[in-house]
Amino acid sequence: MSASGNEETGMGPVNEPLAESRWESLARAAASGEKSEDVVLRREFVTFRLGEDAYALPIERVREVVRLRPITPMPRVPSAVRGVISLRGEVVQVVDLRGRLGMESAPAARTSRIIVLHGDDGAVAGLLVDLVRDVLRISEDEIRPCAANEADVVHSLLADGTKFVSLLDVDRVLTFDE
Amino acid sequence: MQSILVVEDSATMRSLIGATLEDLDVPVKITEAASGFEALRVLPRGSFDLIVTDINMPDINGLELVSFVKKNESYASIPLVIISTEGSERDRDKGLGLGADAYLVKPFEPDDLREIAKTLLSRVQADE
Amino acid sequence: MAARRKTPSRRSKAHREFVSEAEEILERMRDGLSDLADQQTNSGEADPEVINQLFRSAHSLKGLSGMFGLDGLGELAHHLEDVLDRVRLGRAGLDAAALGLLDESVALVALTLEKVESGTQDELLDRVAEVIGRIDAWARSPEPATEAAEIELDPAMLRALTEYEEHRLQENIRRGRRIQVVEASFDILAFEEGLAELTGAVREVGEVLSILPSPGEGDESQIRFSLLVATEIPPGDLEARLEMPGASVREASRAGGAPAVAEPTAVLASDSAVEPSLDAAPELTSLKSISDTVRVDIRKLDELMNLVGELVVQRGALARIARELQALPETARLAADLDKVHKGFERKLQDLQSGVLETRMVPLRQVFEKLSRVVRRLRRDTEKEVRLELRGADTELDKLIVEELVDPVMHIVRNAFDHAMEAPEERLAAGKPAEGCIRLEASQRGNDVVITCSDDGRGIDPAVVHSRAIERGIVSENAPLADREVLDLIFAPGLTTCTEVTETSGRGVGMDVVRANITALGGLVEAQSELGRGTTVTMTLPITLAIIQALIVGVADQQFAIPLNSVRETLLVEPDEVQRSEGRELLNLRGDALPLRRLGREFGLGGEDQSRTGKQYSVVLGLGDTRVGLLVDRLEGQQDTVIKPIQGPIDSIRGIAGATELGDGGAVLVLDVAALVEDGLRGGDSA
Repeated sequence: MSASGNEETGMGPVNEPLAESRWESLARAAASGEKSEDVVLRREFVTFRLGEDAYALPIERVREVVRLRPITPMPRVPSAVRGVISLRGEVVQVVDLRGRLGMESAPAARTSRIIVLHGDDGAVAGLLVDLVRDVLRISEDEIRPCAANEADVVHSLLADGTKFVSLLDVDRVLTFDE
Repeated sequence: MQSILVVEDSATMRSLIGATLEDLDVPVKITEAASGFEALRVLPRGSFDLIVTDINMPDINGLELVSFVKKNESYASIPLVIISTEGSERDRDKGLGLGADAYLVKPFEPDDLREIAKTLLSRVQADE
Repeated sequence: MAARRKTPSRRSKAHREFVSEAEEILERMRDGLSDLADQQTNSGEADPEVINQLFRSAHSLKGLSGMFGLDGLGELAHHLEDVLDRVRLGRAGLDAAALGLLDESVALVALTLEKVESGTQDELLDRVAEVIGRIDAWARSPEPATEAAEIELDPAMLRALTEYEEHRLQENIRRGRRIQVVEASFDILAFEEGLAELTGAVREVGEVLSILPSPGEGDESQIRFSLLVATEIPPGDLEARLEMPGASVREASRAGGAPAVAEPTAVLASDSAVEPSLDAAPELTSLKSISDTVRVDIRKLDELMNLVGELVVQRGALARIARELQALPETARLAADLDKVHKGFERKLQDLQSGVLETRMVPLRQVFEKLSRVVRRLRRDTEKEVRLELRGADTELDKLIVEELVDPVMHIVRNAFDHAMEAPEERLAAGKPAEGCIRLEASQRGNDVVITCSDDGRGIDPAVVHSRAIERGIVSENAPLADREVLDLIFAPGLTTCTEVTETSGRGVGMDVVRANITALGGLVEAQSELGRGTTVTMTLPITLAIIQALIVGVADQQFAIPLNSVRETLLVEPDEVQRSEGRELLNLRGDALPLRRLGREFGLGGEDQSRTGKQYSVVLGLGDTRVGLLVDRLEGQQDTVIKPIQGPIDSIRGIAGATELGDGGAVLVLDVAALVEDGLRGGDSA
């Protein structure tokens, strides 16, 4: 019916009637008694590697990726928590993902990186990985739930072309049962 | 069931604010007042847990309403949200200085109003 | 997965309301413009009320368009609003050409609104841009010069005037009108008619600048209105015209009268909840005093504070470099210059630091007021008669500390109320007055603020606490503890969760949390008590969280920072000076036994060999009267540091209070002295 416009995202062209604003959808939802929901279409993930294995994290949880820098060890923490780094004035704990997933640790490499994540309470934490690749953009239906959970942290698998990439559950990765 | 008083002279804004607040995940009852005068009339009749008021209203403006509420023992502890407009920092600051608890600047996101309302309403419960 | 899309036939309720309200606004604007046109031809003077109405209309339209994402419309309304604002504030004039432009703009708004219904409003964007351009050009014409007029008015009314109302007030004064205050009270359930009559009568002879409602004097069924009025006629005449027996009129100021009074009162500028009543001799204040303060987002202050902290660390690095350079003959002269510059920098930095710290300080009053309310409620709900005395509400602390203090202090007061205070009969039987007293006192002592909560209740029985602690495995049966140390046990986790202890110990659940909170703020909390007489809990807090002096120590290959205000002294210790007794290591410190803890062993750092053969240092930590010696390998100097919280999945690490950066960019852990001292006291070798 309309000449242009992206069917999937619902962004109408100029000729389309007033696109529904958040206020209107809210008002309508309130009137009909349903709760308004955000519609998610495609999601983006940051992918990285531990050895040969590929992993991914939702991009909303990734604040930044930094090069490896001196990590000050901390006493009385699980061994997977390597220590803390100083990040532009903030002090952030760094978790060795290999250790967290029960893998052997690897020596630091030129490609090693620390992925700085947002925790669910707004706090920040770092994840030490071997190599960070790129950002994947895939749609919801390409995410498949995982049958057997590796150390309870992988909650689904993404199909990336012909390979499977393990999607990490950020909150579980950052939870340590004392 | 918590009770919220919305004071705003624009009918559209009143109903939008009402719809937003009804969408909170606690049960609320919304009372609307179209002017400072109406708010003065309605106040003694209900026991409100939150007041949301526009600043720029004719006759009795939002600041005067805040001043009245805060001077009144029966209403002084009711949390107050003032709605100012972009560019009116002085008015907003005065509102805060008179005792308003939070402010929103038009145009604002419904989420912000919900956040503020949720926080202020739960504070009231905690004190009790 | 397609998003919801609106089809042309569906209209949401909100959308319809928007359109209908926008049309109403347009109507009002057209009316207003036509009134203005009439006034132009007749008297040449525009009625400020009409201009204000136009402004308000443009303003409402802007707000509404914004909420619905109609940017073109919003922009146009915004520019209209801007320009009308300048006119109503007297900064721009309205001539025929300007009126014509306004007419055109309103017509364009109407057209845009029509197009909105069919979604084609963007076709008009070009025209909108063009009109906006012309509006801007008009608005750019030079502003007529204005001088601020001095007025004297009581603060309560001033505080509730919007910017526009202030302008109208000044404008009227400038024109030589008399500013008067008309007061009348009405029944709270039926005031509108009476008030409408009153304002109507006033408007016949003057302008109503503002209406301030306030609770009726001693009569809750009444509501009082104070109208700020500008008129030519004297108060006596005005009062006569009103024909309302209960109404009073008084002069607020005379135009061209005595120059502005005195200093701005603090009442206007601060957050103080105290306000002078309208009837008491009104304090005269200059209107200018309102703009003497600036409200700042606490986050900006945090940023500033962080910057200052970083500067402090950098300065430390500079100092070190200067020192090293001075040692080399080739650079000695340059190094001396560097040192001079650095000293100047240090002085200025200290001034900057003090200045920023001052901006963050707020009085404890708010916390105290909140506590009063809580105690009042508790009194209502229980049968205990307790009065709360508050001293030192003016004591100031860093705003963030004050915010974090509310919970722990509330907890302590509640506990005192619930557990320490006996019922009236019990008190009388004990020879105490039936009414109990909880006194909360705050005062500044040097770099700290001390807050004490004292009650004259039951007091804490050390014997009971001690036996409970043994029962719970917190201390061993054989460890001898002084009464003081036993009292400190009430802050131990695990002890306070026992409800039986609550009854007899006088303090209840959660004191461990209180201590954790206070420690997190860099402070200390201790308790003293006399059985049957009462208990005092003392909190000592640094005035500000920000910059702390720290002692840097080294153990094995790591460094740690210890807040200097917890360090009483440092000693060189030879291996043979360390004595062992009952599984603990001790040092003879001038006749007293100083319990020792090896930091290396505490944190599992290795470096054990060093401790057997080489010299070590004992850093004597002090917590109140308690002393514990911490054994480390190296002392590496003092440093100004900013203690930062450690973010990450591990919530808290016993013995670590946070981290800081030294000049070279790495993070260094800051020790939690309170925890280390506690652990040191409990003794035994922790494996």
